[in-house]
Amino acid sequence: MIELINVSKTFSNGIDVLFNINLHVGKEEFVFVVGPSGAGKTTLMKLLYREERPSLGKVIVDRVNVAELDVHQVPYLRRNIGVVFQDYKLLPKRTVYENVAFALRVTGTPRSTVRRKVMQSLELVGMLRRANAFPDELSGGEKQRACIARAIVNNPPILLADEPTGNLDPTTSWDIIQLLDKINKRNTTVLVATHNKGIVDDMKRRVVALENGRVIRDQLLGSYDVQ
Amino acid sequence: MFSNFEFFIIEALRSFRRSTLMNLVAIGTIAVTLVIFGLFLLLIINMGNVVGTVSSRMDVAAYVEEDISLGEAGALQLKFSKIPGVEKVEFISRTEAWKKFKQDFGTKLDLDEIMTENPLPHTFTVRVRTPELLPPVAKRLSEFEVVSEVRYSGRMIDQIRSLLDAVRIGGAGLVILISFATLLIVVNTVRLTVLARETDIYIMKLVGATDTFVKWPFIIEGILIGVLGGLISFLVLKFSYDGVVLRVSQALPFLPLVCDQRMLAVIYITMVAGGTALGMVGAYISVSKVLKIEV
Repeated sequence: MIELINVSKTFSNGIDVLFNINLHVGKEEFVFVVGPSGAGKTTLMKLLYREERPSLGKVIVDRVNVAELDVHQVPYLRRNIGVVFQDYKLLPKRTVYENVAFALRVTGTPRSTVRRKVMQSLELVGMLRRANAFPDELSGGEKQRACIARAIVNNPPILLADEPTGNLDPTTSWDIIQLLDKINKRNTTVLVATHNKGIVDDMKRRVVALENGRVIRDQLLGSYDVQ
Repeated sequence: MFSNFEFFIIEALRSFRRSTLMNLVAIGTIAVTLVIFGLFLLLIINMGNVVGTVSSRMDVAAYVEEDISLGEAGALQLKFSKIPGVEKVEFISRTEAWKKFKQDFGTKLDLDEIMTENPLPHTFTVRVRTPELLPPVAKRLSEFEVVSEVRYSGRMIDQIRSLLDAVRIGGAGLVILISFATLLIVVNTVRLTVLARETDIYIMKLVGATDTFVKWPFIIEGILIGVLGGLISFLVLKFSYDGVVLRVSQALPFLPLVCDQRMLAVIYITMVAGGTALGMVGAYISVSKVLKIEV
Protein backbone atom coordinates (compact mmCIF):
# COMPACT_ATOMS: atom_id res chain seq x y z
CA MET A 1 0.00 0.00 0.00
CA ILE A 2 2.74 2.39 1.04
CA GLU A 3 6.38 2.06 0.14
CA LEU A 4 9.27 4.44 0.71
CA ILE A 5 12.45 3.58 -1.18
CA ASN A 6 15.74 5.34 -0.29
CA VAL A 7 13.87 8.52 0.61
CA SER A 8 15.81 11.56 1.77
CA LYS A 9 14.49 15.04 2.37
CA THR A 10 16.42 18.25 2.71
CA PHE A 11 14.48 21.48 3.19
CA SER A 12 15.26 24.46 0.99
CA ASN A 13 16.98 26.14 3.95
CA GLY A 14 19.53 23.29 3.97
CA ILE A 15 18.18 21.40 6.99
CA ASP A 16 18.19 17.62 6.53
CA VAL A 17 15.04 15.94 7.90
CA LEU A 18 15.02 12.42 6.50
CA PHE A 19 17.94 10.16 5.49
CA ASN A 20 17.61 7.15 3.25
CA ILE A 21 14.28 5.90 4.59
CA ASN A 22 13.07 2.49 3.46
CA LEU A 23 9.64 1.48 4.67
CA HIS A 24 6.92 -0.86 3.51
CA VAL A 25 3.39 -0.73 4.91
CA GLY A 26 0.99 -3.40 3.71
CA LYS A 27 -2.72 -3.12 3.09
CA GLU A 28 -4.85 -2.67 6.22
CA GLU A 29 -1.85 -2.50 8.51
CA PHE A 30 -1.82 -0.36 11.66
CA VAL A 31 1.55 1.30 12.23
CA PHE A 32 2.81 3.64 14.92
CA VAL A 33 5.56 6.03 13.85
CA VAL A 34 7.33 7.10 17.03
CA GLY A 35 10.23 9.30 17.95
CA PRO A 36 11.07 12.59 19.64
CA SER A 37 10.00 15.96 18.23
CA GLY A 38 12.02 16.84 15.16
CA ALA A 39 12.70 13.21 14.29
CA GLY A 40 10.92 13.65 10.96
CA LYS A 41 7.53 12.02 11.68
CA THR A 42 5.44 14.87 10.30
CA THR A 43 7.60 15.24 7.18
CA LEU A 44 7.27 11.52 6.55
CA MET A 45 3.47 11.87 6.66
CA LYS A 46 3.51 14.93 4.42
CA LEU A 47 5.49 13.02 1.77
CA LEU A 48 2.62 10.54 1.50
CA TYR A 49 -0.06 13.09 0.57
CA ARG A 50 2.36 15.25 -1.36
CA GLU A 51 2.44 18.29 0.85
CA GLU A 52 6.20 17.75 0.58
CA ARG A 53 8.27 16.09 -2.13
CA PRO A 54 11.32 13.98 -1.35
CA SER A 55 14.75 15.30 -2.35
CA LEU A 56 15.75 11.75 -3.26
CA GLY A 57 13.99 8.41 -3.60
CA LYS A 58 10.53 7.13 -4.37
CA VAL A 59 7.30 7.45 -2.37
CA ILE A 60 4.84 4.89 -3.62
CA VAL A 61 1.20 5.05 -2.54
CA ASP A 62 -1.15 2.49 -4.04
CA ARG A 63 1.38 1.62 -6.79
CA VAL A 64 1.90 5.27 -7.83
CA ASN A 65 5.13 7.19 -7.24
CA VAL A 66 3.62 10.31 -5.73
CA ALA A 67 6.97 12.10 -5.79
CA GLU A 68 6.63 12.40 -9.54
CA LEU A 69 2.88 12.84 -9.67
CA ASP A 70 1.63 15.58 -11.97
CA VAL A 71 0.31 18.59 -10.04
CA HIS A 72 -3.15 18.11 -11.53
CA GLN A 73 -3.27 14.54 -10.24
CA VAL A 74 -2.50 15.50 -6.63
CA PRO A 75 -6.16 16.23 -5.68
CA TYR A 76 -7.12 12.70 -6.77
CA LEU A 77 -4.29 11.18 -4.69
CA ARG A 78 -5.54 13.08 -1.66
CA ARG A 79 -9.07 11.78 -2.02
CA ASN A 80 -7.61 8.39 -1.16
CA ILE A 81 -5.83 9.58 1.96
CA GLY A 82 -7.55 10.87 5.09
CA VAL A 83 -5.49 13.14 7.36
CA VAL A 84 -6.04 13.77 11.07
CA PHE A 85 -4.22 16.64 12.82
CA GLN A 86 -3.12 17.36 16.35
CA ASP A 87 -4.82 20.80 16.14
CA TYR A 88 -7.89 19.37 14.33
CA LYS A 89 -8.01 22.13 11.70
CA LEU A 90 -11.80 22.39 11.88
CA LEU A 91 -13.35 25.41 10.17
CA PRO A 92 -14.54 27.54 13.10
CA LYS A 93 -17.65 29.10 11.54
CA ARG A 94 -19.11 25.79 10.41
CA THR A 95 -20.92 23.15 12.40
CA VAL A 96 -19.55 19.63 12.77
CA TYR A 97 -21.92 18.48 10.04
CA GLU A 98 -20.81 21.28 7.71
CA ASN A 99 -17.14 20.60 8.39
CA VAL A 100 -17.52 16.97 7.40
CA ALA A 101 -19.81 17.75 4.46
CA PHE A 102 -17.33 20.37 3.23
CA ALA A 103 -14.77 17.65 2.52
CA LEU A 104 -17.27 15.92 0.27
CA ARG A 105 -18.66 19.05 -1.37
CA VAL A 106 -15.26 20.32 -2.48
CA THR A 107 -14.61 17.08 -4.28
CA GLY A 108 -17.82 17.57 -6.24
CA THR A 109 -19.93 14.94 -4.47
CA PRO A 110 -23.61 15.45 -5.27
CA ARG A 111 -25.68 16.79 -2.41
CA SER A 112 -27.92 13.76 -2.23
CA THR A 113 -24.95 11.52 -1.43
CA VAL A 114 -23.36 14.01 0.95
CA ARG A 115 -25.98 13.78 3.66
CA ARG A 116 -25.96 10.00 3.79
CA LYS A 117 -22.17 9.75 3.88
CA VAL A 118 -21.76 12.48 6.51
CA MET A 119 -24.31 10.82 8.76
CA GLN A 120 -22.59 7.43 8.42
CA SER A 121 -19.25 8.97 9.21
CA LEU A 122 -20.54 10.90 12.22
CA GLU A 123 -22.22 7.78 13.51
CA LEU A 124 -18.99 5.79 13.22
CA VAL A 125 -17.06 8.32 15.34
CA GLY A 126 -19.98 8.73 17.78
CA MET A 127 -20.68 12.39 16.94
CA LEU A 128 -24.18 12.14 15.53
CA ARG A 129 -25.67 13.97 18.51
CA ARG A 130 -23.17 16.82 18.18
CA ALA A 131 -23.68 17.30 14.44
CA ASN A 132 -25.06 20.84 14.79
CA ALA A 133 -22.50 22.09 17.29
CA PHE A 134 -19.79 24.56 16.33
CA PRO A 135 -16.14 23.65 16.98
CA ASP A 136 -15.74 26.06 19.92
CA GLU A 137 -18.65 24.31 21.67
CA LEU A 138 -16.80 20.99 21.56
CA SER A 139 -14.34 19.33 23.94
CA GLY A 140 -10.89 18.36 22.65
CA GLY A 141 -11.92 14.75 22.22
CA GLU A 142 -15.07 15.73 20.32
CA LYS A 143 -13.06 18.01 18.05
CA GLN A 144 -10.73 15.14 17.27
CA ARG A 145 -13.69 12.88 16.53
CA ALA A 146 -15.07 15.49 14.15
CA CYS A 147 -11.67 15.74 12.50
CA ILE A 148 -11.54 11.94 12.09
CA ALA A 149 -15.09 11.93 10.69
CA ARG A 150 -13.98 14.42 8.06
CA ALA A 151 -10.88 12.36 7.24
CA ILE A 152 -12.81 9.15 6.67
CA VAL A 153 -16.01 10.48 5.10
CA ASN A 154 -14.69 9.71 1.64
CA ASN A 155 -13.83 6.12 2.69
CA PRO A 156 -10.14 6.54 1.91
CA PRO A 157 -8.04 3.35 1.94
CA ILE A 158 -5.35 5.17 3.94
CA LEU A 159 -5.71 7.22 7.12
CA LEU A 160 -2.79 9.29 8.46
CA ALA A 161 -2.93 10.70 11.98
CA ASP A 162 -0.25 13.18 13.03
CA GLU A 163 -0.09 13.31 16.85
CA PRO A 164 -3.87 12.79 17.15
CA THR A 165 -3.70 12.63 20.94
CA GLY A 166 -1.18 15.46 21.37
CA ASN A 167 -3.72 17.81 22.95
CA LEU A 168 -5.86 15.27 24.79
CA ASP A 169 -6.00 13.83 28.31
CA PRO A 170 -5.08 10.12 28.75
CA THR A 171 -8.64 8.73 28.83
CA THR A 172 -9.74 10.70 25.78
CA SER A 173 -6.50 9.75 24.02
CA TRP A 174 -7.28 6.14 24.60
CA ASP A 175 -10.80 6.58 23.14
CA ILE A 176 -9.36 8.19 20.04
CA ILE A 177 -6.83 5.41 19.50
CA GLN A 178 -9.63 2.85 19.95
CA LEU A 179 -11.55 4.72 17.25
CA LEU A 180 -8.56 4.62 14.89
CA ASP A 181 -8.24 0.91 15.61
CA LYS A 182 -11.93 0.44 14.75
CA ILE A 183 -11.41 2.27 11.46
CA ASN A 184 -8.38 0.07 10.75
CA LYS A 185 -10.56 -3.00 11.21
CA ARG A 186 -12.85 -1.63 8.50
CA ASN A 187 -10.11 -2.30 5.94
CA THR A 188 -8.23 0.99 6.24
CA THR A 189 -4.45 1.28 6.42
CA VAL A 190 -3.68 3.50 9.43
CA LEU A 191 -0.43 5.33 10.19
CA VAL A 192 -0.24 7.12 13.54
CA ALA A 193 2.64 9.43 14.38
CA THR A 194 2.85 9.81 18.15
CA HIS A 195 5.02 10.13 21.18
CA ASN A 196 2.37 8.81 23.51
CA LYS A 197 4.33 5.96 25.10
CA GLY A 198 1.45 4.50 27.10
CA ILE A 199 -0.77 4.01 24.09
CA VAL A 200 1.96 2.52 21.89
CA ASP A 201 2.96 0.07 24.61
CA ASP A 202 -0.65 -0.99 25.32
CA MET A 203 -1.68 -1.43 21.70
CA LYS A 204 1.19 -3.75 20.79
CA ARG A 205 1.15 -2.93 17.09
CA ARG A 206 3.93 -2.47 14.56
CA VAL A 207 6.25 0.35 15.61
CA VAL A 208 8.59 2.30 13.32
CA ALA A 209 10.97 4.44 15.38
CA LEU A 210 12.59 7.52 13.88
CA GLU A 211 15.51 9.42 15.29
CA ASN A 212 17.31 12.31 13.59
CA GLY A 213 15.66 11.45 10.30
CA ARG A 214 16.62 7.78 10.28
CA VAL A 215 14.60 4.61 10.93
CA ILE A 216 16.30 3.16 13.96
CA ARG A 217 13.83 0.37 14.59
CA ASP A 218 10.95 -1.36 12.80
CA GLN A 219 9.24 -3.91 14.99
CA LEU A 220 6.04 -5.94 14.80
CA LEU A 221 4.07 -6.03 18.06
CA GLY A 222 6.49 -3.36 19.23
CA SER A 223 6.68 -0.89 22.06
CA TYR A 224 7.72 2.75 22.37
CA ASP A 225 11.24 2.03 23.65
CA VAL A 226 13.64 -0.80 22.91
CA GLN A 227 12.90 -3.66 25.27
CA MET B 1 -22.15 20.60 -12.28
CA PHE B 2 -25.31 22.49 -11.31
CA SER B 3 -24.94 21.22 -7.77
CA ASN B 4 -21.31 22.42 -7.74
CA PHE B 5 -22.34 25.82 -9.02
CA GLU B 6 -24.84 26.14 -6.20
CA PHE B 7 -22.03 25.29 -3.78
CA PHE B 8 -19.77 27.98 -5.32
CA ILE B 9 -22.50 30.60 -4.95
CA ILE B 10 -23.23 29.66 -1.34
CA GLU B 11 -19.51 29.71 -0.47
CA ALA B 12 -19.04 33.07 -2.23
CA LEU B 13 -21.95 34.65 -0.34
CA ARG B 14 -20.74 33.18 2.95
CA SER B 15 -17.29 34.65 2.41
CA PHE B 16 -18.77 37.96 1.24
CA ARG B 17 -20.77 38.28 4.44
CA ARG B 18 -17.78 37.36 6.56
CA SER B 19 -15.46 40.11 5.32
CA THR B 20 -18.03 42.86 4.88
CA LEU B 21 -15.73 45.79 5.63
CA MET B 22 -13.00 44.72 3.23
CA ASN B 23 -15.56 44.07 0.53
CA LEU B 24 -17.15 47.49 1.06
CA VAL B 25 -13.72 49.07 0.58
CA ALA B 26 -13.27 47.17 -2.67
CA ILE B 27 -16.77 48.08 -3.88
CA GLY B 28 -16.16 51.74 -3.02
CA THR B 29 -12.84 51.77 -4.86
CA ILE B 30 -14.34 50.27 -7.98
CA ALA B 31 -17.30 52.66 -7.82
CA VAL B 32 -15.08 55.77 -7.49
CA THR B 33 -12.83 54.68 -10.35
CA LEU B 34 -15.75 53.96 -12.60
CA VAL B 35 -17.39 57.30 -11.81
CA ILE B 36 -14.17 59.05 -12.90
CA PHE B 37 -14.05 56.81 -15.97
CA GLY B 38 -17.69 57.60 -16.80
CA LEU B 39 -17.17 61.34 -16.29
CA PHE B 40 -14.41 61.24 -18.87
CA LEU B 41 -16.57 59.40 -21.34
CA LEU B 42 -19.39 61.89 -20.86
CA LEU B 43 -17.00 64.83 -21.19
CA ILE B 44 -15.59 63.42 -24.42
CA ILE B 45 -18.91 62.66 -26.09
CA ASN B 46 -20.27 66.07 -25.07
CA MET B 47 -17.29 67.89 -26.51
CA GLY B 48 -17.70 65.87 -29.68
CA ASN B 49 -21.32 66.90 -29.74
CA VAL B 50 -20.47 70.60 -29.35
CA VAL B 51 -17.97 70.38 -32.20
CA GLY B 52 -20.54 68.61 -34.33
CA THR B 53 -23.26 71.17 -33.64
CA VAL B 54 -21.00 74.17 -34.07
CA SER B 55 -19.48 72.92 -37.29
CA SER B 56 -22.92 72.27 -38.71
CA ARG B 57 -23.58 76.00 -38.37
CA MET B 58 -22.45 77.29 -41.70
CA ASP B 59 -23.23 80.97 -41.22
CA VAL B 60 -20.94 83.95 -41.59
CA ALA B 61 -22.07 87.17 -39.98
CA ALA B 62 -21.10 90.41 -41.71
CA TYR B 63 -21.65 93.57 -39.68
CA VAL B 64 -22.21 96.99 -41.16
CA GLU B 65 -21.76 99.93 -38.77
CA GLU B 66 -22.64 102.68 -41.24
CA ASP B 67 -26.19 103.75 -41.59
CA ILE B 68 -27.56 102.35 -44.79
CA SER B 69 -30.99 102.55 -46.32
CA LEU B 70 -33.15 99.55 -46.96
CA GLY B 71 -32.46 99.93 -50.70
CA GLU B 72 -28.70 99.87 -50.10
CA ALA B 73 -29.16 96.84 -47.88
CA GLY B 74 -31.08 95.08 -50.65
CA ALA B 75 -28.25 95.83 -53.11
CA LEU B 76 -25.62 94.51 -50.71
CA GLN B 77 -27.72 91.41 -50.09
CA LEU B 78 -27.76 90.78 -53.83
CA LYS B 79 -23.98 91.32 -54.13
CA PHE B 80 -23.26 89.00 -51.26
CA SER B 81 -25.47 86.27 -52.67
CA LYS B 82 -23.38 86.32 -55.85
CA ILE B 83 -20.20 85.32 -54.02
CA PRO B 84 -19.40 81.70 -55.03
CA GLY B 85 -20.49 79.16 -52.43
CA VAL B 86 -23.15 81.33 -50.82
CA GLU B 87 -26.51 79.68 -50.41
CA LYS B 88 -28.60 82.51 -49.03
CA VAL B 89 -28.25 85.88 -47.39
CA GLU B 90 -30.48 87.29 -44.71
CA PHE B 91 -30.57 90.91 -43.61
CA ILE B 92 -31.34 92.00 -40.10
CA SER B 93 -31.45 95.75 -39.67
CA ARG B 94 -30.02 97.31 -36.54
CA THR B 95 -33.49 98.44 -35.50
CA GLU B 96 -34.82 94.92 -35.84
CA ALA B 97 -31.85 93.49 -34.00
CA TRP B 98 -32.26 95.99 -31.19
CA LYS B 99 -35.94 95.20 -30.89
CA LYS B 100 -35.21 91.50 -30.65
CA PHE B 101 -32.43 92.08 -28.16
CA LYS B 102 -34.76 94.15 -25.98
CA GLN B 103 -37.38 91.44 -26.22
CA ASP B 104 -34.89 88.81 -25.09
CA PHE B 105 -33.22 90.70 -22.31
CA GLY B 106 -35.30 93.75 -21.68
CA THR B 107 -37.71 92.19 -19.26
CA LYS B 108 -35.21 92.38 -16.44
CA LEU B 109 -34.06 95.95 -16.99
CA ASP B 110 -35.17 98.94 -18.94
CA LEU B 111 -32.55 99.19 -21.68
CA ASP B 112 -33.83 102.48 -22.99
CA GLU B 113 -32.86 104.06 -19.72
CA ILE B 114 -29.24 102.95 -19.97
CA MET B 115 -28.76 103.23 -23.70
CA THR B 116 -29.86 106.39 -25.40
CA GLU B 117 -29.13 105.01 -28.84
CA ASN B 118 -29.05 101.65 -30.53
CA PRO B 119 -25.52 100.17 -30.17
CA LEU B 120 -26.03 97.32 -32.64
CA PRO B 121 -24.80 97.17 -36.24
CA HIS B 122 -26.75 95.95 -39.25
CA THR B 123 -26.20 92.22 -39.73
CA PHE B 124 -26.07 90.12 -42.86
CA THR B 125 -26.24 86.41 -42.10
CA VAL B 126 -24.59 84.64 -45.01
CA ARG B 127 -25.11 80.88 -45.24
CA VAL B 128 -22.53 78.90 -47.21
CA ARG B 129 -22.99 75.46 -48.77
CA THR B 130 -20.24 73.53 -46.94
CA PRO B 131 -18.17 74.33 -43.84
CA GLU B 132 -14.97 74.47 -45.94
CA LEU B 133 -16.39 77.49 -47.75
CA LEU B 134 -16.57 79.53 -44.54
CA PRO B 135 -13.02 81.03 -44.68
CA PRO B 136 -13.02 82.08 -48.41
CA VAL B 137 -16.52 83.55 -48.21
CA ALA B 138 -15.61 85.37 -44.98
CA LYS B 139 -12.54 86.78 -46.77
CA ARG B 140 -14.58 87.98 -49.74
CA LEU B 141 -17.11 89.62 -47.42
CA SER B 142 -14.42 91.46 -45.49
CA GLU B 143 -13.17 92.95 -48.76
CA PHE B 144 -16.30 95.07 -49.00
CA GLU B 145 -15.48 98.48 -47.56
CA VAL B 146 -18.87 98.91 -46.02
CA VAL B 147 -18.46 95.72 -43.97
CA SER B 148 -16.86 96.58 -40.65
CA GLU B 149 -16.49 93.08 -39.21
CA VAL B 150 -16.90 89.45 -40.27
CA ARG B 151 -17.44 86.59 -37.85
CA TYR B 152 -17.80 82.86 -38.16
CA SER B 153 -17.25 79.97 -35.78
CA GLY B 154 -14.35 78.28 -37.63
CA ARG B 155 -11.56 79.32 -35.27
CA MET B 156 -13.55 78.13 -32.29
CA ILE B 157 -14.15 74.78 -33.98
CA ASP B 158 -10.43 74.28 -34.52
CA GLN B 159 -9.75 75.14 -30.91
CA ILE B 160 -12.41 72.78 -29.63
CA ARG B 161 -11.14 70.03 -31.93
CA SER B 162 -7.61 70.23 -30.61
CA LEU B 163 -8.90 70.41 -27.04
CA LEU B 164 -11.05 67.37 -27.75
CA ASP B 165 -8.02 65.46 -29.07
CA ALA B 166 -6.06 66.38 -25.96
CA VAL B 167 -8.90 65.27 -23.69
CA ARG B 168 -9.28 62.03 -25.63
CA ILE B 169 -5.60 61.09 -25.40
CA GLY B 170 -5.15 62.33 -21.85
CA GLY B 171 -8.45 60.77 -20.81
CA ALA B 172 -7.59 57.41 -22.33
CA GLY B 173 -4.21 57.44 -20.57
CA LEU B 174 -5.82 58.39 -17.29
CA VAL B 175 -8.53 55.75 -17.61
CA ILE B 176 -5.88 53.06 -18.25
CA LEU B 177 -3.88 54.23 -15.24
CA ILE B 178 -6.93 54.35 -13.00
CA SER B 179 -8.11 50.92 -14.15
CA PHE B 180 -4.68 49.50 -13.42
CA ALA B 181 -4.61 51.09 -9.97
CA THR B 182 -8.08 49.73 -9.27
CA LEU B 183 -7.04 46.29 -10.42
CA LEU B 184 -4.13 46.38 -7.96
CA ILE B 185 -6.39 47.50 -5.13
CA VAL B 186 -8.98 44.86 -5.95
CA VAL B 187 -6.29 42.17 -6.19
CA ASN B 188 -4.99 43.15 -2.78
CA THR B 189 -8.41 43.42 -1.21
CA VAL B 190 -9.47 40.04 -2.49
CA ARG B 191 -6.09 38.66 -1.43
CA LEU B 192 -6.86 39.70 2.13
CA THR B 193 -10.14 37.80 2.01
CA VAL B 194 -8.30 34.84 0.48
CA LEU B 195 -5.62 34.93 3.17
CA ALA B 196 -8.32 35.16 5.84
CA ARG B 197 -9.56 31.83 4.53
CA GLU B 198 -6.19 30.10 4.42
CA THR B 199 -7.34 27.23 6.64
CA ASP B 200 -10.36 26.71 4.41
CA ILE B 201 -8.13 26.55 1.37
CA TYR B 202 -5.67 24.25 3.14
CA ILE B 203 -8.47 21.88 4.13
CA MET B 204 -10.01 22.05 0.67
CA LYS B 205 -6.73 21.12 -0.95
CA LEU B 206 -5.99 18.45 1.63
CA VAL B 207 -9.23 16.62 1.06
CA GLY B 208 -8.60 16.68 -2.65
CA ALA B 209 -10.33 19.76 -4.07
CA THR B 210 -8.95 20.75 -7.45
CA ASP B 211 -7.58 24.28 -7.91
CA THR B 212 -10.51 25.15 -10.13
CA PHE B 213 -12.88 24.15 -7.36
CA VAL B 214 -11.02 26.31 -4.84
CA LYS B 215 -10.95 29.28 -7.21
CA TRP B 216 -14.62 29.51 -8.20
CA PRO B 217 -16.10 30.86 -4.95
CA PHE B 218 -13.46 33.60 -4.87
CA ILE B 219 -14.05 34.51 -8.50
CA ILE B 220 -17.80 34.71 -7.89
CA GLU B 221 -17.12 36.90 -4.86
CA GLY B 222 -14.96 39.14 -7.08
CA ILE B 223 -17.71 39.37 -9.67
CA LEU B 224 -20.18 40.28 -6.93
CA ILE B 225 -17.87 43.06 -5.70
CA GLY B 226 -17.40 44.30 -9.26
CA VAL B 227 -21.10 44.27 -10.15
CA LEU B 228 -22.03 46.18 -6.98
CA GLY B 229 -19.24 48.72 -7.58
CA GLY B 230 -20.40 49.12 -11.17
CA LEU B 231 -24.05 49.57 -10.19
CA ILE B 232 -23.21 52.20 -7.57
CA SER B 233 -21.11 54.16 -10.07
CA PHE B 234 -23.95 53.88 -12.60
CA LEU B 235 -26.49 55.31 -10.16
CA VAL B 236 -24.19 58.11 -9.03
CA LEU B 237 -23.33 59.09 -12.58
CA LYS B 238 -26.83 58.79 -13.99
CA PHE B 239 -28.45 60.97 -11.35
CA SER B 240 -25.72 63.60 -11.41
CA TYR B 241 -25.66 63.76 -15.21
CA ASP B 242 -29.44 63.98 -15.44
CA GLY B 243 -29.29 66.79 -12.90
CA VAL B 244 -26.61 68.62 -14.86
CA VAL B 245 -28.53 68.24 -18.13
CA LEU B 246 -31.66 69.67 -16.50
CA ARG B 247 -29.84 72.69 -15.04
CA VAL B 248 -27.88 73.37 -18.21
CA SER B 249 -30.97 73.17 -20.40
CA GLN B 250 -32.51 75.91 -18.23
CA ALA B 251 -29.49 78.15 -17.73
CA LEU B 252 -27.51 77.69 -20.96
CA PRO B 253 -30.06 76.43 -23.50
CA PHE B 254 -27.70 76.94 -26.46
CA LEU B 255 -25.16 74.41 -25.07
CA PRO B 256 -25.90 71.12 -26.81
CA LEU B 257 -25.53 68.40 -24.13
CA VAL B 258 -25.88 64.75 -25.13
CA CYS B 259 -29.28 63.41 -24.10
CA ASP B 260 -29.43 60.44 -26.46
CA GLN B 261 -30.58 57.71 -24.07
CA ARG B 262 -29.13 54.93 -26.19
CA MET B 263 -25.66 56.48 -26.19
CA LEU B 264 -25.86 57.06 -22.43
CA ALA B 265 -27.02 53.48 -21.91
CA VAL B 266 -23.90 52.26 -23.74
CA ILE B 267 -21.73 54.26 -21.35
CA TYR B 268 -23.55 53.01 -18.27
CA ILE B 269 -23.43 49.40 -19.45
CA THR B 270 -19.71 49.78 -20.16
CA MET B 271 -19.22 50.94 -16.59
CA VAL B 272 -21.08 48.04 -15.00
CA ALA B 273 -19.35 45.56 -17.32
CA GLY B 274 -15.99 47.19 -16.57
CA GLY B 275 -16.59 46.85 -12.83
CA THR B 276 -17.54 43.20 -13.23
CA ALA B 277 -14.40 42.51 -15.25
CA LEU B 278 -12.21 44.33 -12.71
CA GLY B 279 -13.64 42.32 -9.84
CA MET B 280 -13.34 39.03 -11.67
CA VAL B 281 -9.78 39.54 -12.93
CA GLY B 282 -8.71 40.88 -9.54
CA ALA B 283 -10.06 37.83 -7.75
CA TYR B 284 -8.59 35.44 -10.29
CA ILE B 285 -5.10 36.93 -9.98
CA SER B 286 -5.08 36.98 -6.19
CA VAL B 287 -6.49 33.49 -5.68
CA SER B 288 -4.07 32.06 -8.25
CA LYS B 289 -1.19 33.69 -6.40
CA VAL B 290 -2.25 32.15 -3.09
CA LEU B 291 -2.80 28.74 -4.63
CA LYS B 292 0.71 28.76 -6.08
CA ILE B 293 2.33 29.10 -2.66
CA GLU B 294 -0.16 26.80 -0.93
CA VAL B 295 0.27 23.08 -0.36
